[in-house]
Amino acid sequence: MAEDAKTTGFHVRVGGEASGTVAGEDRGFFNDTAYRRNALQLFRASLLGELQAGPHAALLGELRTENLERPQLYGLYLRLRPLPKRAIDLQVGRIPPVFGAFARRRYGQDNPLIGTPLGYQYLTTVRADAVPANADEMLARRGGGWLTRYSIGSQRFDAGLPVIESLRWDTGVELRVGEEPVEWSVALTRGSLGNPRLGDDNGGKQVATRLAWYPLPGLRLGGSFARGEYLDDTVRALLPTPGHYRQQAFGADVEYSWSRVLLRSEAIVGRWQMWPGGTPRIEAPLSFRSAFLEGRYRAAPGLTLAARVDRLDFGHITGSEGTQTWDAPVTRVEAAVGYAVQRHVQVKASYQYNWRNAGLVHRQGFVIGQVLLWF
Amino acid sequence: MVLSLAPLLGLLLLQAAPVAGRPTSTIRGVVEVRLDLPSASARPSVNEMGAPARHDTPDRRRSVVYFETAPQGAFEDHDRPHAAMDQKNESFVPYVLPIAIGTTVDFPNRDRTFHNVFSLSKPQRFDLGRYAAGRSKAVRFDRPGVVRVFCDIHSHMNAFILVFAHRFFAATDENGAYRIDNVPPGTYNLAVWTDGRVRGVKSVRVGDDGGIVTQDFVVE
Repeated sequence: MAEDAKTTGFHVRVGGEASGTVAGEDRGFFNDTAYRRNALQLFRASLLGELQAGPHAALLGELRTENLERPQLYGLYLRLRPLPKRAIDLQVGRIPPVFGAFARRRYGQDNPLIGTPLGYQYLTTVRADAVPANADEMLARRGGGWLTRYSIGSQRFDAGLPVIESLRWDTGVELRVGEEPVEWSVALTRGSLGNPRLGDDNGGKQVATRLAWYPLPGLRLGGSFARGEYLDDTVRALLPTPGHYRQQAFGADVEYSWSRVLLRSEAIVGRWQMWPGGTPRIEAPLSFRSAFLEGRYRAAPGLTLAARVDRLDFGHITGSEGTQTWDAPVTRVEAAVGYAVQRHVQVKASYQYNWRNAGLVHRQGFVIGQVLLWF
Repeated sequence: MVLSLAPLLGLLLLQAAPVAGRPTSTIRGVVEVRLDLPSASARPSVNEMGAPARHDTPDRRRSVVYFETAPQGAFEDHDRPHAAMDQKNESFVPYVLPIAIGTTVDFPNRDRTFHNVFSLSKPQRFDLGRYAAGRSKAVRFDRPGVVRVFCDIHSHMNAFILVFAHRFFAATDENGAYRIDNVPPGTYNLAVWTDGRVRGVKSVRVGDDGGIVTQDFVVE
């Protein structure tokens, strides 16, 4: 429950969450995030705030620190409801993601497991500030998205982009119309799914939309689409054909719950348009497919069991030595047990196993522990 | 002031046995709550794509008045009554429900959405799972104490169930009024509980001639 404080004409609500996660060394960097941190060896604390100014406007924000480094504002936006009795909302600023469902879950509290779905975390070999010279250079980086470098653009070793960046929010404006049983949202933002931006780096805009339908109590079906420029101007200026380089994705999600069981699944298909480069050329867009299925069972008061099966796959390109997926497909399974010591204190333990056919390490399992506090 | 009723409820003292045939009395009064009790809110909906649906806010001024010490024989009731705590417009109604040991509480869902009622309180841990509108699940409470009730889906939903080892208790109505009937003659410690805490205790004497005894409280 949030702490509530009322002042004249204003209504302030504050909430927060802190989590500490420990696991063994991730030699294959399966769980690295775009912030070049390991999500399984992380202390994260966030403070959420909402300043409601009458029935029409609210200012919302999230301040977060990871590993006790300097806190940063991850979200800050104005929510406007022009007609208080109509479910039409306009949100302006650094806004929550419209695409898909997972990125809007609370990071620890709403995740019955500890790890993050691959499509929302795993770092591919696509960079926003560098591109490969040809297909061979692209294929040589398979499985190395945690730290990669290409010959065109930034020469710095850096992390690649995830399909969807779930921890960082994009900047722009969003319209939400309706509420259960049908709600629709559309957003115009500066970045792309894999590279949300505070400032614009390429002059392009992303359009993202989502339709959610609640046909029955406990059942939610969602469909999403997003398309936006991802390649930044510094590297586009180096290409003979500057053009438009967009990330595009379609998503479908479903959540069903009944009694003690909660099932969730999401599928994402899409592509990054890539400069074809020299010989051997990258002839096709860099396509990706991601899907996961997770389930949670509340076995007893405070005790939950959960599991997730997850796969991130990539399309094929042809290099000098044949045709391969442009990045190494990854499979992940995780099973967890969680126990609520008190309502606001949870402990979780899980085992996660990852497979892929390239990179420093092809297979690795982790025993993970997490303590989570929220208010 | 104590934070929980549990120690009190577990250590009830017995008064002198009531004499058969003696008239009983009614204790009534008003609890005036002067505390500033802001309504509980949902967590800030920072992750939402729009404003969350509006919901009712519970009346946290509702209090429970009860005997700290109960007459002998008060523990011999063998009724197994039912009570109800609704889930309505994303709020538990009533916010405070006093019951006697052995009571079965129904939790009907009168909302359009699912709810998942649960408690992690020591006197009665339970988890009813998710169920839809029009359905109801029940829990029997067999141990005295304070049971905090929550919904796993809606973090702002919370309520109290106070489980007593006797029947001498009453919840206040919307005006703060309460009434405890069939009280045998004797002297009793009358306590008032508001929003999670015992806020005051007063000694009340009930005479042999029946009638009505008035005892008001001010909670500040």
